[in-house]
Amino acid sequence: MDFRFSEEQQQFRMELREWLKDNLERSWIEELRDPDNDEKKLFDIRRSWQAKLNESGYLGIHWPKEWGGRGLTVVENAIFAAETIHAPPIASRVGINLLGPALIHHATEEQRKRFIPKMLSGEEVWCQGFSEPDAGSDLAALRTRAEPDGEDFRLEGQKVWTTFAPWSDWIFVLARTDPDDRYGGITFFLVSLHQEEIDVRPIRQITGESEFGEVFFSGALAKREHIIGAIGEGWKIAMTVLAYERGSMSLAHLARFDHYLKDLVQGVREKGTLKRTDVREKIARLLVEKEILRANGYRTLATLASGQAPGPEASLEKIFWSEYSRRLADGALDLLGLQAQLLVRSPYARPHMDWAQEALYSRAVTIYAGSSEIQRNIISKRILKLPSS
Amino acid sequence: MNFELSEANALLKSSIRDFLQQEAPLDKSRPVMEDTEEGFSREIYAKLGDLGYWGLTLPESEGGSAAGAIGLAVVLEEMGRVAFPGPFLDLVLAAETLSRVKDEPASEFLQGIVEGRKSVLLARWETLEELDGSSLQTRSDQNTVRGTKLLVPFGNSADFLLVTAAEGLALFPRPEEGWKAISLPLLDHAQRFLEISLDAPGTLLCDKKTADTILKEVDQLGALGASALLLGLIEGSLELTLDYIKERKAFGRSIGSFQVLQHRAADMWIRMESCRSAVYRAAWAVENKQNDAPLLVASAKAYCGDSAHFVCGETIQLFGGVGYTWEYDPHIYYKRVKTLEQLYGSTRNQLEAALRSQGI
Repeated sequence: MDFRFSEEQQQFRMELREWLKDNLERSWIEELRDPDNDEKKLFDIRRSWQAKLNESGYLGIHWPKEWGGRGLTVVENAIFAAETIHAPPIASRVGINLLGPALIHHATEEQRKRFIPKMLSGEEVWCQGFSEPDAGSDLAALRTRAEPDGEDFRLEGQKVWTTFAPWSDWIFVLARTDPDDRYGGITFFLVSLHQEEIDVRPIRQITGESEFGEVFFSGALAKREHIIGAIGEGWKIAMTVLAYERGSMSLAHLARFDHYLKDLVQGVREKGTLKRTDVREKIARLLVEKEILRANGYRTLATLASGQAPGPEASLEKIFWSEYSRRLADGALDLLGLQAQLLVRSPYARPHMDWAQEALYSRAVTIYAGSSEIQRNIISKRILKLPSS
Repeated sequence: MNFELSEANALLKSSIRDFLQQEAPLDKSRPVMEDTEEGFSREIYAKLGDLGYWGLTLPESEGGSAAGAIGLAVVLEEMGRVAFPGPFLDLVLAAETLSRVKDEPASEFLQGIVEGRKSVLLARWETLEELDGSSLQTRSDQNTVRGTKLLVPFGNSADFLLVTAAEGLALFPRPEEGWKAISLPLLDHAQRFLEISLDAPGTLLCDKKTADTILKEVDQLGALGASALLLGLIEGSLELTLDYIKERKAFGRSIGSFQVLQHRAADMWIRMESCRSAVYRAAWAVENKQNDAPLLVASAKAYCGDSAHFVCGETIQLFGGVGYTWEYDPHIYYKRVKTLEQLYGSTRNQLEAALRSQGI
């Protein structure tokens, strides 16, 4: 048992801090506060920040060198995520975090060479085509069809909740190659968004932003050479992808939560209510739960670092961090009062923390990447072995 | 980063699990809890002594097993699983206290403890308000200890009491006629708490300042041990629940197939695994003298207390009517949790300690 970072890992952290000092000019919250930055500009900032990171070898940290990665482990990747919470999020987050593992574990050599470098550089931005209007939590009910067309396929159908769709170049799509086989009839395609047979429409979220959208396919070309794995293996691959999405991000969330809780305590201090016992109890529980989250995160990291793929246990982390993020934001809106509801561009808003955005966004995190309810299904079926009805 | 138990601790885990399965499964322990005055089996404790468990955490130079904080957590987790009755954690803490007193009489007694011949327990409470140690009424002067101590766990069985007094820490042997004690039955019928009146010869082992320093360290181990016990109680209780809801039929099907119960079971499991992460991270920090140990121990104790209350309460609910009967086992777990929430640093005080450790 050991909960320490190795000396090399500490060294990596120190070098990264130095690099950030030299290269990060403005924090993300400053960019958000700048009235000249509209959504398009903000996305460009993310794209150029990504390119900068990539030039210095800070993307694909835990991927093999031969495919453009840095050849380190998930631990360094987690350290990177934790150290860069004040930087702009990279443009290709969806691609790197979700499609990345699928390419590393399931793609051919040719596909890796074709897609990974441009994904890392931000030249090609990716979005994910999994959910559909009638296939959300019940993802296997998806109906987007891939009809054979000579060597290749043509897609018919609709995807939804597609994060970054409006700015993406490519989409990875789960589509049905066999209408009768619920799981075995699904195939994993990589599809260019730059074709007339695809229509992308933004969806406005409760935050007012349009980070995600809908994608309509009417005979869009899906090439055979761009299928990941075999025809009919899409479900299996998607499940690996989702487990990575759930499992390895706790430390990055923690670094954010450390920052948030500090801001909350500071705000309460400024209000003069830190001595109230009801306030103290609430803060104490948020502090304690954050340490439990960290303990869970270290534990998962240790498991992943030992080379094991994330299993159903990843559901625990997804539930814990997402529900914690809601309790933390709710706590801040309660303890800080209306100040925490001021938008980041308002006068009097807290200078280093966008609580209003966080409070709204915390309503999304318990839904995306497998809702809390789906995670509980996974735990009760696959871990507790409770019988199906 | 590594979450695996060391080889030695993995062996310790399987040894104590086998031992408890053999000697103290819950159906054997219940008559001991319910029908005996002492509330635990001296015979089983003697066997634990023979196997070296009484000196579990003591250094090898003192004849102990040097299992460290992680070893302690491993053993107590297993004891929690079967709701093992008796003062095991209290014996360990008393031994730890004695071993920190660098004094001849202390080390002599320690020998007896390590071999499982003499039992020593801490007697610290004087009122029902949680310990603060600053205003002790008990006096130890001219080799006589005088005072009244509350909540001495399983005190009737002790050969010696380690008594906190205004002057420091005193060792008090069992008088020939036995302890002058009043029993304080409470919610958990498996506990045996006593009020003991002291007025007889005893030996002052160290002064108040030294005692406070020692007890602070021991309290950290106590909170950690209690967290591990709570983790074990959660495991035992969840195991009962899963067996029951898989087997119990209603509306023509196993009730474990209803999603509403499945999600509640999932929440119980989430609590259990989170407590496991918290307990072992804290144990590791204590064993390796990390700076954040105070925060991690306080967090573990507070979180395990809350979680165990939740899980063991859910067990009663999911059992339905039979969960409220004396015959079934859920109440054994629930009751043990309720006392542990208040002892070894109550949840409320641990929450405050967590804040203070961060300068809040």
